[in-house]
Amino acid sequence: MNDHPLEPLLKPRSIAVVGASNVESKWGYKVLHNIISNSYKGSVYPVNPGEAAVQGLTSYASVRDIPGDVDLAVIIVPAPVVPGVIDDCGAKKVRAVVVITAGFSEVGPEGALLEQQLKEKVASYGMRMLGPNTMGFVNRGIGLNASIVPRMPPKGEISFISQSGALGLAIADWALGSRMGMNCIISTGNKADISEADLLEYFNADKDTWTIVMYIEGLKDGRRFMEAADRVRKPMLAIKAGVSQAGARAAASHTGSLAGSDALYDAAFRQCGVTRVEGVEEMFDAAMALATQPPATGNRVAILSNGGGMAIMASDACERRGMVVPPLNKYTKAGIARLLPAFASVKNPVDTVAKSDYNIYYEAMKTLLDDAEIDCVMVMYAHGGMTDAMEPAKAVIDVVREKFPKPVVAVWMGGEDIGEVARAFRKNRVPFYPVPERAAEALRGLIEYNVFLGREAKPE
Amino acid sequence: MMLNEMEAKRLFSQYGIRVNDGIGVKTPAEAADAAEKLGFPVVVKVLSGKIIHKSDMGLVALDIRTADCARGACERILTAARAIDPEATAVVEPMAPDGVAEVIIGGKRDPQFGPTVLFGLGGVFVEVFKDVSLRVAPVNHAIALKMIRETKGYTILKGFRGKQGADLDALADILVSISRLMMTREDVMELDVNPVIAYTHGAVAVDARVLLRDKD
Repeated sequence: MNDHPLEPLLKPRSIAVVGASNVESKWGYKVLHNIISNSYKGSVYPVNPGEAAVQGLTSYASVRDIPGDVDLAVIIVPAPVVPGVIDDCGAKKVRAVVVITAGFSEVGPEGALLEQQLKEKVASYGMRMLGPNTMGFVNRGIGLNASIVPRMPPKGEISFISQSGALGLAIADWALGSRMGMNCIISTGNKADISEADLLEYFNADKDTWTIVMYIEGLKDGRRFMEAADRVRKPMLAIKAGVSQAGARAAASHTGSLAGSDALYDAAFRQCGVTRVEGVEEMFDAAMALATQPPATGNRVAILSNGGGMAIMASDACERRGMVVPPLNKYTKAGIARLLPAFASVKNPVDTVAKSDYNIYYEAMKTLLDDAEIDCVMVMYAHGGMTDAMEPAKAVIDVVREKFPKPVVAVWMGGEDIGEVARAFRKNRVPFYPVPERAAEALRGLIEYNVFLGREAKPE
Repeated sequence: MMLNEMEAKRLFSQYGIRVNDGIGVKTPAEAADAAEKLGFPVVVKVLSGKIIHKSDMGLVALDIRTADCARGACERILTAARAIDPEATAVVEPMAPDGVAEVIIGGKRDPQFGPTVLFGLGGVFVEVFKDVSLRVAPVNHAIALKMIRETKGYTILKGFRGKQGADLDALADILVSISRLMMTREDVMELDVNPVIAYTHGAVAVDARVLLRDKD
């Protein structure tokens, strides 16, 4: 365990669930159920004064009555009762709380007052607080589901910070469906204490997180976010939703009207190394590549495909996103020509004239990756049902396993027959996409991240 | 609260920005004297913390070449302006010669990000195409140059078809100064240095607008 202040929150050794319930329809039931029904190894203590036992575990009337130490308290009791529970946690020397309860600043001034009270209490006890109004968090690394997410996604290296609880849920479910590996999913709720900046700091130090993705509606302190993001040495992607109305007032100057909130988020993200993306699919497409592949040190793409049409689409998709698909030099051409029938003319994109033998894909990919004038490779296969989709996929997996310092993304187009290939790619950390446009977007993410590695030097 | 043009330029001068200083006048006669003193051609503009769009309202007279014209222009401007702001006066300035281009440099205090700076090529580029580059302050000279290069207007600034380009370093210096101003003067909410005339050597701020936080 490292000594980061968020460690007791995200990697707790023991958890109290305050408001734990035996009634299946209640959130207090679901949260406790999710904590104990996965592979979490720490101690779990239900707190409910009305029950002797909850879901088979001894229940305590108050956090104060729990016999052992408590790192984390997950709180699901009505809003007016929460401050009292925080006092109990303070007395028990609980180190972090997750307040799932809603009804605070998001409902109006009275709730905001109550939230301020929580914030002050938590600070006075030296605790950290996630929420209120959060859906909790998932830490796949320790098998902990301290949230209302029904099922956990497979283990991976992407951590997701979401200002929207519902979106966090949907992402978890979607990741499960598309076998996208995740490390942490955190719903930030009202951010009364812990904000994106704290979590960025934590994930930068967390060895289980390789890529950080965010859904942001609004930052409370943009400068603090930028400072934290600027120190992060891992890829960061963000969706920024909601164009603020604050800038819509009649501006007294040109600058006032031109430096609108949305344009400023664009600039700020670029300044601190966060790639802004439009949507969820785009974000995770890029995240999958960033979490598994080295960054591209340039924008020259080689495309390998068993069909011409798909390769042209890929070429267009790359060029529209600022990449180039350059002609190959004579050595690379000769290296590939010897693999193909004599009538095939070798150019970029490389068309294997419908051949998809393991050997052709394996050798051609290695030849392209060895070319100093190529920065990244998009390898494609269009499934016609005449050949085995798995055979060239195995070649891709074997090449990626050799860890070239250049990224590879794969596009396998086809229907049901592709399922097995998709599983194999996921398992072997090959970023895989069903269409060339999404693979091109992922490559753009890899190139942009490399640009960010040489971030604008900060003025003194 | 809005600073008038002379107050705003005084503030910019304190941060090392070159401005074309003028002489404040209250009457047409003073305007004629000021024009003589400055030498022709001159510009006569309204001076008011309340009037924002002075050229749209015809309260700016350009390229004035005689004392009589200065007197007449001042008379016309003051009469029109005082209908809106009874305390309006005028300023007489030397007419800045044409440069390579006019640019806008701005600053704004954002509720989330704090001080920010803006660069854009003036005229239609800003007004119609919103072709601007933004940064959260502070910015240094290198970032300021990068901001300039990011705009589409850069093609014009760097010179094209054999035309000599603008002094980009001088423009970057103004951006850095505005960044410093925004970082140190917390009462400045928004400002425009608009236009800045960019020459092949140097750049001059010829008009300015500064909005201060209202004291309550």
